[in-house]
Amino acid sequence: MYKVVIGLEVHCELKTKTKNFSNSLNTYSTVPNEHVATVDMGLPGILPVPNKEAVRKALKTAMALNCQNPDEVIFDRKNYFYPDLPKGYQITQVTKPCGINGYLDIFVGEEEKRIFIHQLHLEEDTASLEHYNNYSLIDYNRSGIPLMEIVTEPCITSSDEAISFLEALRNVFLYCQVSDARSDKGQMRCDVNISLMKPDDDKLGTKVEMKNINAFTSVRAAIDYEIKRQTEILDQGGKVKQETRRIDEDGKTYPMREKVDAIDYKYFIEPNIPPVKLSKEYLDSIRQEIPVLEFERIKNYQQDYGLSFYDASVLAKDKGIADYFEAVIKEGAKPIESVANWVMTVVLGTLNKLDITLEEFFITPKMLAGVLKLINEDKISLNHGKKIIYQAIKEKKDPIDIIKENNIEQIKDDQIILQHVKDALEENPLQVDQYIKEGKDYVKNFFVGKVMQKTNRQADPVLTLDLIVKELEKRKDNERK
Amino acid sequence: MIEKEKLQDYARKLMFEMNDEEYTTLQQEFAVILKQMDLIGQIPDIAKVEPMTFPFITYQQELREDIESDEGVLTVNEVLENVKHEVDNQVKVPKVVE
Amino acid sequence: MDYRHKTIMDLRSCLDEGKVTAEELFETAKDLAKQYQEQDNSFVSICDKFKMKQSQSLLSGIPYGLKDNISTSGILTTASSNILKDYIPVYDATVYQKLKQSGAVLVGKTTLDELAMGGTGTTAHTGIVKNPWDSARMIGGSSAGSAASVARGVVPFAIGTDTGDSIRKPASFGGVVGFKPTYGRVSRYGLFAFASSLDHVGCLTRNVLDAAIVTDVIKGYDPLDMTSLKDDGKEYHKMVNNSIKGRKLFYIKEACDLDNYQDQDDSELIETLKQFHEVLDKLRGIGFEIEGISFDKDLLNAIYPAYMTISCAEATSNNANLTGIQFGPRGEGNSIEEIMFDARSKGFSELIKRRFILGSYILQKENQERLFLNACRVRRLIVDKVNELFKKYDGLIMPASGGIAPLFGTKSDQLSDRYLLLENHLAIGNFGGFPSITVPAFFVDAMPVGINITGRIMEDDVVLMMAQAMENILKCKNMVAGDKIV
Repeated sequence: MYKVVIGLEVHCELKTKTKNFSNSLNTYSTVPNEHVATVDMGLPGILPVPNKEAVRKALKTAMALNCQNPDEVIFDRKNYFYPDLPKGYQITQVTKPCGINGYLDIFVGEEEKRIFIHQLHLEEDTASLEHYNNYSLIDYNRSGIPLMEIVTEPCITSSDEAISFLEALRNVFLYCQVSDARSDKGQMRCDVNISLMKPDDDKLGTKVEMKNINAFTSVRAAIDYEIKRQTEILDQGGKVKQETRRIDEDGKTYPMREKVDAIDYKYFIEPNIPPVKLSKEYLDSIRQEIPVLEFERIKNYQQDYGLSFYDASVLAKDKGIADYFEAVIKEGAKPIESVANWVMTVVLGTLNKLDITLEEFFITPKMLAGVLKLINEDKISLNHGKKIIYQAIKEKKDPIDIIKENNIEQIKDDQIILQHVKDALEENPLQVDQYIKEGKDYVKNFFVGKVMQKTNRQADPVLTLDLIVKELEKRKDNERK
Repeated sequence: MIEKEKLQDYARKLMFEMNDEEYTTLQQEFAVILKQMDLIGQIPDIAKVEPMTFPFITYQQELREDIESDEGVLTVNEVLENVKHEVDNQVKVPKVVE
Repeated sequence: MDYRHKTIMDLRSCLDEGKVTAEELFETAKDLAKQYQEQDNSFVSICDKFKMKQSQSLLSGIPYGLKDNISTSGILTTASSNILKDYIPVYDATVYQKLKQSGAVLVGKTTLDELAMGGTGTTAHTGIVKNPWDSARMIGGSSAGSAASVARGVVPFAIGTDTGDSIRKPASFGGVVGFKPTYGRVSRYGLFAFASSLDHVGCLTRNVLDAAIVTDVIKGYDPLDMTSLKDDGKEYHKMVNNSIKGRKLFYIKEACDLDNYQDQDDSELIETLKQFHEVLDKLRGIGFEIEGISFDKDLLNAIYPAYMTISCAEATSNNANLTGIQFGPRGEGNSIEEIMFDARSKGFSELIKRRFILGSYILQKENQERLFLNACRVRRLIVDKVNELFKKYDGLIMPASGGIAPLFGTKSDQLSDRYLLLENHLAIGNFGGFPSITVPAFFVDAMPVGINITGRIMEDDVVLMMAQAMENILKCKNMVAGDKIV
């Protein structure tokens, strides 16, 4: 067996109104070259002016990844020729990246693992190339969209870890609201570096790089395939070739066109962007916007609320849901296990069923807490509570109002219920006879229904059933005597 | 003297070619500038000096607010104005092999 | 009307008094431009139609030339290079936009050294620019056509750009004023970049007041250029006549003292320095305090190589957009590499290619420390030293060149003292972004020579004041090539 060493370079498009260095819109468009500024197509005479919001979001993400931030913002140029790079250089950060030396704690299954972050920097996306039979087309819409690159240390040891990290990282992006991070739209893409080494070796094996993988499932496939491929080579005493490969639709990796020589990117500081100081106050104001992240919430939910890892993970997966869950508790709903249950079943279930977002969900945490309180105080039944919630969603009405309007707080008084039970038996002698003489047990449910009718469904059903059975048995005994 | 082959390699990476005579001139130029740069390298404690990129730094400048603006933004026609080959509002080039 | 000798203010009065219309001025300028085009080659293109916007500005209706590396929407802009020979920009440079708004009337786009990378005016794709004072001589560059057209009297002012001395050196050779304000005072948006950290936009005029008037119009903060400065709210043209009494200037002894050149048989240089010192004496006479100071010779010798290193490095990157794909002539070939290769091979002249290779070599990982970063370090040493001196002195005064405009075909010895000390010191102004002005001062062998004053950053007004005071005592104001020398 070999030790697998994986490093990831994750690219993520930031959500901003305008591009990173120009005023054109940062928005997905199906019309080619619709959102292009002079800067984005590298016209002679252009000057980049960095987007404050993009810088802010990159710094915020860096903080969420426990990175150190620089004292000022500067950019560098990375020089190379490629048709998707109209300026002939990409503006990126080498000298002072937005973040260095960070980490992200993640769960791999239920195991905790710390993934070390080498650096996070802000750069710009390239134009997009579309390939046809004998030509390619360039569209500059994507050129200049703010792109964040996160480079991990080579500390990942399996495809499971890689996927867990990518999911956790995407969650950081979503929690911090810096990106929609949709890999299907290419907003999140990943390069994978992978090498194998003997467990007792102290030197890393030969690195193979796989570029621009969008889907997480492809990342897994690429890693698993490479581990297999490299293992076979090493087992046969061969040497792994240092190269760049790509993953194909068949789930296998293939070498990419050989570059004759390594590119020297001739980095130097972008002279058109003078340094901008980052004050402690400014950085603090960004830091304050970072919410408690998924990993911490999962731990908190387990420790503070006694939830299972599974439940905690389901609740913390989406920041909105997690916030909702916490808000319901804050409103005083108890017990927590039941709150969790309700959020996972009723709330998540409804969102899925109606295909709506939490923002569109009518029931506020306060409303839900109100209903849960009544249930907890046995004022209404669990089933009833659910029915009322669904009715409230349907009618867009406060569930507490529904309860009040219909006067359906549960009747717990046995004297009241007993009177209704007796009335019901009197009115339906045939069914009483069926119970007593023919032993038809199901008749008791018939009477529950009758009592419910009489009480406008407010009678405590358990108590009602209990009283019906007692009354029926009493009459049965009398009959025998 | 920097070898011609090396200079040819640079030219290739910069995406142009030159003729032999031009390389000879270039080699001479290199000799002069490298000699002068060697002298700079001999300035005492030069390595301790912070390299200067900007003529001066005032920290007056601010980043751009992320708000919509037309300044510097082009229409599709303007984007394509100087493009010699276009298809479907895009720039057509020979097939790029990745 | 003697149009050619008129200052901007003269023309302003003529226009305001109805003696002439803006269109007539344009036609006169256009005719002159065409008349001298064959002789001087000042223009890449000359405007056909009169176009102006009404405005209250002093420049309203005044004809001018614009260097052809400044983006003009709908007007051919070539940077005097084959690689842009058919490029018609779709957007306006900020400086052009401001001039348009002021009502100034564009007469033509002026010739430059290809991509502004050169100091001779001989490398444009449309041929060499000749010195109107002597057609056997260079006008210098890279703002060659701008200097020549102003020296010729075709236009009262022209916009130039200056990365090492590209406004101020040709101004000296052409007997005109060349002013490069503080870095960032004028927006560079739309200026085809040569070396972004050194590039400046400025103007060439025939007197200091005109330079102030033009600068007042073109300066200002531009959100499209992050290096542009916040507006200083000053009107320079109203300040040029302020008193300079007690202003202190220094010159660099190693470069300017005759003793240092005793063993050299360079009469032109000796004569230039002699007259320079005579001017200094006159300036002392009107209230300037002027002292020679000793400047580390290692640093002086470093100016030229540091300038070459930094400017070529930035240039090779700045011009990487010139591939013929999204604009410019498309190269031929079957692959994307081939078409880029072809466009660039055909599009750049030899000199440009050599500089790109130099710049690329300098930036290589293995050379960065020794070449690029050392050049950036020496840049700091030089700028720090000058700023230190500026604590005591208001400005640096130097001959703008070691002599008169060179004859075509002469090649300077790049290791000589004259070359290193007197022909390249103007780059100090670019290293530190200092405002710097060349004012025509005297004649050597019937050719003009300028004196340069460089001042503290942000003090464009002070530099203009000092230049105005100098102009007042010299007899070189409002000269047009061919004027009888006094």
